[in-house]
Amino acid sequence: MKEIRIGIIGAGTMGGVHASCYQEIPEVQVAAICEFEPGEGRELAQKTGAKLYSSVDALIEDPAVEVVDICTPTHLHAQHVLQAAAAGKHVICEKPLARNLSEAEKMIETCDKVGVKLFVGHVVRFFPEYTLARRILESGRIGKPAVIRTSRNGSFPRGKQNWFGNRQLSLGPIGDLLIHDFDFLRWCFGEVERVYAKTLHSEQLPDLDYALVTLRFRRGPLAHCEGSWAHAPGTFFVRFEIAASDGLIEYDSRKNIPITLTQRKPIDGTTPRVAIPESPLTESPYTTELRHFILCLTQGTEPLVTAYDALKALEIALAALDSAKTGKPVELKED
Amino acid sequence: MVKIGIMSFAHIHAYSYAPALKKLQDVEFIGIADEDPKRGGKVAQELAVNYFTDYRALLDQDLDAVVVCSENVRHREMVVAAAERGVHVLCEKPIATTLADAEEMISACQRNGIKLGIAFPCRYGAASKRLKNLLDQGAVGEVLAIMATNHGKMPGGWFVDKQLAGGGAVMDHTVYVVDLLRWMLKQEVTRVYAEMDTLMHPIEVEDCGLLTLEMEKGSFATLDASWSRPKSYPTWGDVTMEIVGTQGILSFDLFAQTLSVYGDVDNQVAWENWGDNLDLEMLRDFAQRIANDQPLWITGEDGMKALEVALAAYESYKLHQPVTLPISRNL
Repeated sequence: MKEIRIGIIGAGTMGGVHASCYQEIPEVQVAAICEFEPGEGRELAQKTGAKLYSSVDALIEDPAVEVVDICTPTHLHAQHVLQAAAAGKHVICEKPLARNLSEAEKMIETCDKVGVKLFVGHVVRFFPEYTLARRILESGRIGKPAVIRTSRNGSFPRGKQNWFGNRQLSLGPIGDLLIHDFDFLRWCFGEVERVYAKTLHSEQLPDLDYALVTLRFRRGPLAHCEGSWAHAPGTFFVRFEIAASDGLIEYDSRKNIPITLTQRKPIDGTTPRVAIPESPLTESPYTTELRHFILCLTQGTEPLVTAYDALKALEIALAALDSAKTGKPVELKED
Repeated sequence: MVKIGIMSFAHIHAYSYAPALKKLQDVEFIGIADEDPKRGGKVAQELAVNYFTDYRALLDQDLDAVVVCSENVRHREMVVAAAERGVHVLCEKPIATTLADAEEMISACQRNGIKLGIAFPCRYGAASKRLKNLLDQGAVGEVLAIMATNHGKMPGGWFVDKQLAGGGAVMDHTVYVVDLLRWMLKQEVTRVYAEMDTLMHPIEVEDCGLLTLEMEKGSFATLDASWSRPKSYPTWGDVTMEIVGTQGILSFDLFAQTLSVYGDVDNQVAWENWGDNLDLEMLRDFAQRIANDQPLWITGEDGMKALEVALAAYESYKLHQPVTLPISRNL
């Protein structure tokens, strides 16, 4: 019998990624998968040997499930976390933690009160290119940080019932993409003082969005974050640049990449692809993240990224959304 | 033959303009003026041109035009002097450090029937023209947003003296990209928000700045104007743009045409540019228009519009609020 039994809610992209990662972790067994769409999730359940549910209640109440991993659309996170906590189950929740701060606070309080752990999937803290940059910064090798630029660019995401397209549900590229960078930046540079943001989102362009956000950190540094749902289908890349008093770090996932496949003709009969870049690692950062969460759970230690961190990243995202809406800078309150 | 001189070698770009003027066949490089005899004498000797310590003495020569490369705050004095002598001017950017100075320069030139051009070489060269051409063809549809950078290394000298430069990185690096935006989009900037600070160098002016600009027709742009390239960076800096349109994305890197050179002899990694010589193309166009008595492509008004955005950025940072253009002439 494996030590930790997980139930995954949502068999979409992230649910699939997490399920594969858990198979790499010997102490973990995917006991159950819940997918509301009839017919979906069957393959994943078969692959992992998990029981397939179509009801969240049933999965959460399954006594075989000790930890609930929530990979549902953002607007369902709060409801599912609260349900899992009420059943005394530990929770791993995809980012963003919630759609607003009151939801996020309630989720954190509830989990605290009932004594279950709440881990949030801010996976960028487990990506080696980001952690290496942070270590170099901490070592003092490039001096004092000054201007940081980040990019996280892809095509418009296609979710079920186009839930990404509904900004109330997904929070757009600021809440869905840039929240990763906000968390990483806050991890490196501390609390944010002021936010100014612009987005493209408009009624006329329902399937196009692009955000440029300026952050001022209390400790001084400035940051500029680019987040795109406007790039061509099949595109996804990230980059960052950390300029400091005595040096600079730059990274571009399109350049710093070991494998790019370009096929003259499609070999498997599918549509020809332009180029398929791959940056394989012996352990995927998602596996590193989930392995870490499981370790924290079994050893009772604090995770590298806490639910409070997730709330603070959400706070920055909400300030950016607010700024984009009002056209004014938003000052964040000091804790 | 167009007879041209250079007034002041305070601005480092003069060291690029001078050999370009020498190269141009239809230009007669009359001489240079520089108040620093050591600097000016050396340059004049190397270029084998006449040298004057007093710029008025240069203006007394038989001249069609001068290129003004003084400290920013002294542009007004020199441009007005040239205008009053009936000499056309190409003035280094930014046009001036205040709108009042810029206005005075423009009106002095108008009054005397003198052409006033501003040195924005970024518009020249095939890459910029191709970019504009693609946008005009609608290659990315309607432009919605632009993310731009104009990074550099901290230049030191008078560039970090507020009295002489009028500001730091934001004064130095805002105007190039603003001029490109105005030219490419055929729109004015309507609103400016800025964050800036001195975070990298022990200097009195800001060394970093992040601007957010709104354009007339509703699109927006950000510009990183920071002097954030460290000394060890393989090149001086960059001018880049990511242009997001309704139909696609256009990426622009004006100085991407380089070789990466790893040299153990000087223990240095360098990106050596083999793209168009923008300064040469700019001066060629300027000289031709002077020779043919045509209006200049980039005028004092263009310089003033770009300066206004930089000044609005300072005002915005002071207020921590976006600033709507036009701004007060007193800023």
